[in-house]
Amino acid sequence: MIEVKNLTKRYGSNVALDHVSFTVEDGTILGFLGPNGAGKSTTMNIVTGYLSATEGTVSISGHDILDEPNEARKLIGYLPELPPLYLDMTVQEYLNFMYDLKKVKLPREKHIREICSLTKIQNVYKRLIGNLSKGYRQRVGIAQALLGNPPVLILDEPTVGLDPKQIIEIRNLIKNLGRNHTIILSSHILSEVQAVCERVIIINSGKLVADGATDRLAHDLSTDHRIIARIAGPEHEVLHAIRAMDKVVEVVSMGEKEPGVYEYHIEADLDQDIRRDLFALLTRKGWPLMSSRNTDLTLEEIFLRLTSGENHFTEQERRVLLGGKADKDGEEDENTEDVRKAAMDAVNEEGGEEE
Amino acid sequence: MKAVLKREIRSYFTSPIGYVCIAVLLALFGYWYYIVMLAGSSSNIPYVYSYMLSYCMMIIPILTMKTISDDQKNKTDQALLTAPVSVLSIVMGKFLAAFFVFFVAITGTLLPSVAISFFGAPNWTEILGNYVGTLLYGGAMIAIGVFISSLTVSQIIAAIGTFAVSILLVIIGQISSSVSGTWIAEVVKWISFESRYDPFTQGQFNLSSVVYFISVMAVFVFFTTRKIESRRYR
Repeated sequence: MIEVKNLTKRYGSNVALDHVSFTVEDGTILGFLGPNGAGKSTTMNIVTGYLSATEGTVSISGHDILDEPNEARKLIGYLPELPPLYLDMTVQEYLNFMYDLKKVKLPREKHIREICSLTKIQNVYKRLIGNLSKGYRQRVGIAQALLGNPPVLILDEPTVGLDPKQIIEIRNLIKNLGRNHTIILSSHILSEVQAVCERVIIINSGKLVADGATDRLAHDLSTDHRIIARIAGPEHEVLHAIRAMDKVVEVVSMGEKEPGVYEYHIEADLDQDIRRDLFALLTRKGWPLMSSRNTDLTLEEIFLRLTSGENHFTEQERRVLLGGKADKDGEEDENTEDVRKAAMDAVNEEGGEEE
Repeated sequence: MKAVLKREIRSYFTSPIGYVCIAVLLALFGYWYYIVMLAGSSSNIPYVYSYMLSYCMMIIPILTMKTISDDQKNKTDQALLTAPVSVLSIVMGKFLAAFFVFFVAITGTLLPSVAISFFGAPNWTEILGNYVGTLLYGGAMIAIGVFISSLTVSQIIAAIGTFAVSILLVIIGQISSSVSGTWIAEVVKWISFESRYDPFTQGQFNLSSVVYFISVMAVFVFFTTRKIESRRYR
């Protein structure tokens, strides 16, 4: 189990990580998402003990990475962003060196052979690492992390530089390893995280912005509360009428899509299906509903919205993202406008800091 | 430590660095041996050895320049520092590997004297004094070179920096003569590598100099570990 508590890292006045906390249970594959410079690699470097945190603690199966570094590090296999390879060594020499360095106790020949066949590097076993392609180097890096069969694997962008076939192989390998390993995997390829990870953490500008089961995150944010509708009718009045509806948080007109028909993005409170009410309203007003569909937020969209600096989530959605229950917001439903305002303010403030 | 030591020694000999350093040192030494012995028709073998210092100054920066800087540049230090080994054992491995190459080169310089000893009686006390002195001096300089290598990611800067420091530590003795009589002169003389090295060239086994050189090694190995550990707290 990996426990990360209140991790903060400052480089001078620059805050790279801001009180990040999370726990990874045994046998979980955790996806770590974030745009470049969000603090992914910094977090991984701290978790593996390569860097130290300004504040906060990391413990691996109960061993603090600073207090008991050797015990903790023995449990970790680490593939950094750039595989730590000695280019003047052959794969064989390098893996034997890492075997010694990590003080692995398993039978040497057999263990290294197994890892080579897992990562499919047997055919370059005797070649100089400096002469290998990026894909092979990456796989040697993964092989190095697997040496000693550590229960915790920390993989920083493990599929970078691989061709599509290799990517699928490595993903399957990671999935298989996930059965009896605890894995943290960082990536900027969202489909990869969706395919491999059970849980995902999104960080942006050093802050944790989302944490939850991969499927649930996408699901919770794509329920009926978000509608794209095309309505024939005067734009201004329609906007006004919909905005006046109960449970509606926000309406935005996307402009005229067909003659006299405007498209609206309507956002209601979480877990609120407003389709019936909307239909009733439009019928009453005599504005034909030309089309209506729910927006399905993919992980990609969540990610983009979380990290782009615009199109931010509302306060309630943030709570869902961070693993809180949406139901808690029930009492605040009456003054959603205030909640929304507060959320927007918070967002704006944050946007300022990011600059 | 053993894993790092093994890797580093292998690295010296899979790249040309180890061979070049040993070859250059032995070639220069052999040439000087020839000049003094044959061209100068002298039998003063220890005199030949007393010039070792300047040859060492040339090869030690080359031996130590990439010990730590290369790891930092290529990010291989991520593998070393996240492995269940102490920083001290990593530094010791690197220090001993550079020292091993140096040791091989210096031991090679004994060969001509061994050859001569079949036909004459060279002054082995002075030769061995020179040998031990050179090893001690080299060890201290290698420790300093490894430390300087940990300060930068550039091998070139590490090499030039080490070279500069090694020159400084020798000419510092000359400074002492220009400020003679003051306590500064005493301190400077005490630091000077040359004044520490000289007794050995005369075949004297000077315990305080032995302790001095070994202390320098220990101090700079320690500094290097602190420097590497401090990177964690950047």
